[in-house]
Amino acid sequence: MLSKQVPALANPSGDMLDILTAVNLEIKPAETIAIIGASGSGKSTLLGLLAGLDQASSGTVYLAGKNINTLDEDGRAALRGEKVGFVFQSFQLLPSLTALENVMLPLELQSNKAARTEALNLLSRVGLSQRLEHYPKQLSGGEQQRVAIARAFVTQPEILFADEPTGNLDNATSQHIIDLLFEMNHEKNTTLVIVTHDEMLARKCGRCVSLENGRLHHA
Amino acid sequence: MHSHFLLAWRLLLRDWHAGELKILVMALLIAVASMTSIGIFTQRIDRAMTDQAGQFLGADLLLQSPVEINTDIINRAKRAGLSVTTGISFSSVIVANDEFQLTHIKAVDQHYPLLSQIKISTVLYGEEHAVGYGPAAGEVWLAPRLFSLLDLSLGDSIELGETQLKVGAVLKYDPGQASSFMVIAPRLLMNIQDVEKTGIIQPGSRVTYLAGFAGQLSHRKTFEKWLSPELSSSQKLVGGTEGSAAVNSAMDKAEQYLSLASMLSVMLSGIAIAMTANRYGQRHFDQSALMRCMGASQKSIIQIFSLQLIILAAIGSLLGCFIGYLAQEGLLLILKDFLGPGLPSAGIYPLLTGFVSGFVTLTGFSLPALLRLKSVPPLRVLRQDITPLPVSSLLVYGLAVSSIILLMWWQSGQLTLTVLVVLGVIVSVGILFVISFILIFFSRASVGLLSGPWKTGLQQIIRHRKENQLQMLAFGLSLMILMTIYLLRTDLISRWQGQLPDKAPNHFVINIQSDEVQAVQQFFSQHLLDNEGLYPMVRGRITEINGIDVMAVVDDKTKRDESLKRELNLSWTSQLQTNNKLISGQWWQQQQAGKAVISIEKGLASRLQVGIGDSLTFKVADQRIVASIQSIRSVQWDSFQPNFYVIFPPSALDGFPVSYISSFYIEPAQKKILNQLIAQFPTLTVLEIDAIMQQVKQIMQQVTRAVEYVMLFVLMAGMMVLVAAMQSSMDERLHSAVIMRTLGAKKSFLRRSHLSEFSLLGLFSGLLAISGTEIIAYLLYNNVFALEFELHTGLWLTGPLISMFLILMISRLYMKNITQQSPVKSLRY
Repeated sequence: MLSKQVPALANPSGDMLDILTAVNLEIKPAETIAIIGASGSGKSTLLGLLAGLDQASSGTVYLAGKNINTLDEDGRAALRGEKVGFVFQSFQLLPSLTALENVMLPLELQSNKAARTEALNLLSRVGLSQRLEHYPKQLSGGEQQRVAIARAFVTQPEILFADEPTGNLDNATSQHIIDLLFEMNHEKNTTLVIVTHDEMLARKCGRCVSLENGRLHHA
Repeated sequence: MHSHFLLAWRLLLRDWHAGELKILVMALLIAVASMTSIGIFTQRIDRAMTDQAGQFLGADLLLQSPVEINTDIINRAKRAGLSVTTGISFSSVIVANDEFQLTHIKAVDQHYPLLSQIKISTVLYGEEHAVGYGPAAGEVWLAPRLFSLLDLSLGDSIELGETQLKVGAVLKYDPGQASSFMVIAPRLLMNIQDVEKTGIIQPGSRVTYLAGFAGQLSHRKTFEKWLSPELSSSQKLVGGTEGSAAVNSAMDKAEQYLSLASMLSVMLSGIAIAMTANRYGQRHFDQSALMRCMGASQKSIIQIFSLQLIILAAIGSLLGCFIGYLAQEGLLLILKDFLGPGLPSAGIYPLLTGFVSGFVTLTGFSLPALLRLKSVPPLRVLRQDITPLPVSSLLVYGLAVSSIILLMWWQSGQLTLTVLVVLGVIVSVGILFVISFILIFFSRASVGLLSGPWKTGLQQIIRHRKENQLQMLAFGLSLMILMTIYLLRTDLISRWQGQLPDKAPNHFVINIQSDEVQAVQQFFSQHLLDNEGLYPMVRGRITEINGIDVMAVVDDKTKRDESLKRELNLSWTSQLQTNNKLISGQWWQQQQAGKAVISIEKGLASRLQVGIGDSLTFKVADQRIVASIQSIRSVQWDSFQPNFYVIFPPSALDGFPVSYISSFYIEPAQKKILNQLIAQFPTLTVLEIDAIMQQVKQIMQQVTRAVEYVMLFVLMAGMMVLVAAMQSSMDERLHSAVIMRTLGAKKSFLRRSHLSEFSLLGLFSGLLAISGTEIIAYLLYNNVFALEFELHTGLWLTGPLISMFLILMISRLYMKNITQQSPVKSLRY
């Protein structure tokens, strides 16, 4: 479903810097996988490459069966829009949009006429039907992440990438978010790729790989 | 595209609700409203002026002449199939109930008006009705004002020169009046048959002979073709194919000032738009990255944001046009006494201009910021430090400057003024930039001398040097523009008023005939009237310089000079007048009496490029006089004494038709003397300058109010720049303040350090602004207005204080959040 071979990556300043070497990873449909590693080990970089947010300087990435190296940025964007959902550590909700509007946005980008209904369903599923018109600023961290999860699932993606989804939350809230993420994943039968250093979260995944000095170790 | 439109619309609405667009929209509204209102206003004035051709004297074509119009012309017009009316206009004093009033008199024949109708009323303040004829012989129609000024009723008599005339009607509207905005004196319409009886028109009197023609266009064209080469250069044909030649220069100046103000408000609004758009763009990096993450292509992103821009521009411009229209009505209301009622409507063009300019302003100033959004990499969702590459500064400034030039040029139709203003602002920015550097340099040097919150404030300014310098420039520039406009207004008016000496002559007497000179002098000394003596006046025109046709010698600009277009008043005297100063050459000796030598005013000499020894040829009546220049004088024109461009020695102009002029000062209480003067010399014309001064003052007040009104736009635009500049740095300020609070800084400490930082910012901006203003004022006074430059010490004190006050006020709006919200809440976003 998704595989990757990356020996090196150009950093944005243009200097060549080996961040990831000898990464060989294949992720199957509906699999749940955690990528763990210390801060700076290249977890997020790997996630960016897997999700087609960035391009590797060499190697190949297949996303949903497509070699994304052969796609230009717009082609990768189209693929992301169709197949991929994201949940981020910092939630990445747009401050000028309400909870409902934030969830509607990806569907609106696809010109989905049922955007509102589907967003309402998802928000009610994550338990926020009372907070629809609230702006991110008016929501707690846990609530914001629930809005983000609703937004990630609203397009019914095949693959969901989560970058430290509990990184900004306390333990109790984290547990709640993890449960929600896995429940939803189970319901929608989604492939789930989580980057985390939260062992509790990693243990819930079907598979766990760790990154150390740019090398991938299968646990 | 359709779905993108809906999405763009929805996102725009959401941004509006979240308050992201307020400043942008406000700045846009101000730019469009100021352009539209001033556009409509000037267009209406222009149209009124163009319409005058057909309205004046109620004719299609109007011939104005300082000498009697040749009967050949009248006959020729009649033969060409045109109807003709003739008339005379002049100013004179009318007397009634022992009161005097300078009046603008028009005497018309039985054919008047050829076109349009006169509106009169037979009851003061009663209903008006239109008539197609003028007053009958023995009767006058008076403007409503004259009734109150002279305490008159219908049926009373007034004295005009040597005759009495009956007041037959209230003159509400004369087709000619649309043309003469600047005629201050109230109007009187009389029958041409009565003119002779008044005895006012004497050889040398200042009158305008009028002939109006109406008829089919083809007939008019044939006639005009024949007439044009027949006219002397002092005769003027208006209307017809020539269009509105008689554009009023005073109104022209006012229009220039208004255009300038409008340009500046557009420029300031543009700056505000650019700053807000930049912030808007930056605040939407995340949105753009997220949308890319969710599958939006670069094209979609550009389409969505461009559509937002178009929607915003369309709504903002429409609304701006509407506000502009209302504002323009307000402007007319202020100037209603000045302009009179029934100004023609402006048509759709200025509204269209305003609408399009909204687009140009918004696009020109915000497109670069929005273009950056296209290139936000999606990876930004994972790494906040990734920002899109800045757009080339050439694109940013190039687009902004060219759209501004385009707009200002289009709106004002004055390329030179536009380029000058833009260059002026660019140079000012450069100068302000240098001064801001110096200020920051001194701040660094002096930071060790301060303590407490002032030290913190100054350190903050130095730490965020770049941002603060930008803010200082934005604040300084808008304050500088505001101060300059304020100074111009205040200085021009107060100096103009201040230049009049106490006891300056407040009355002129003209049309004194040679045989009356002695008697008038006796009258003056008998009544102890302070006067400058009687000066003879012979009207003549300069035709040659050193024997060559003057038009062939002088440059194009001088060809249009008033001194060559009309007849000059030539005078003679043995003594140099007290307010004249000899600059070069010799004043004549007694034995030079009767010699053909002259003394010329220095301005005229330099315009004609003549000096001592050159000779000028004058055409006086039908004769030529060749005189050589013996001296050059400077003349104090605003002394309100009779002044002359060209003076001969005594006896040099003997034998030509001459009348005399004098000026004198009398106290308002002594005014009754005028009655005796007029009673004794009924053909004299007394010009009550005091009344004119009073009326001019009133007009100046109205114009001043109009200018102030337009200044409001500039002020609002300036405020927008201040707010936008403040807003642009506010996110960072808020963030660091919140972190400080989290680290334990007390509210009072934060408040104090912000207070000091913003006070210093205000102080610096104020100093920048006042330095810039003084430089501009120096240049303007010396090069444009010929006024003596003085430092404006008052402004050096108030300017920085006002600047500090404004900045503190605006900063309060933003900084309130920090001290009122809990740090946790503020940190969340």
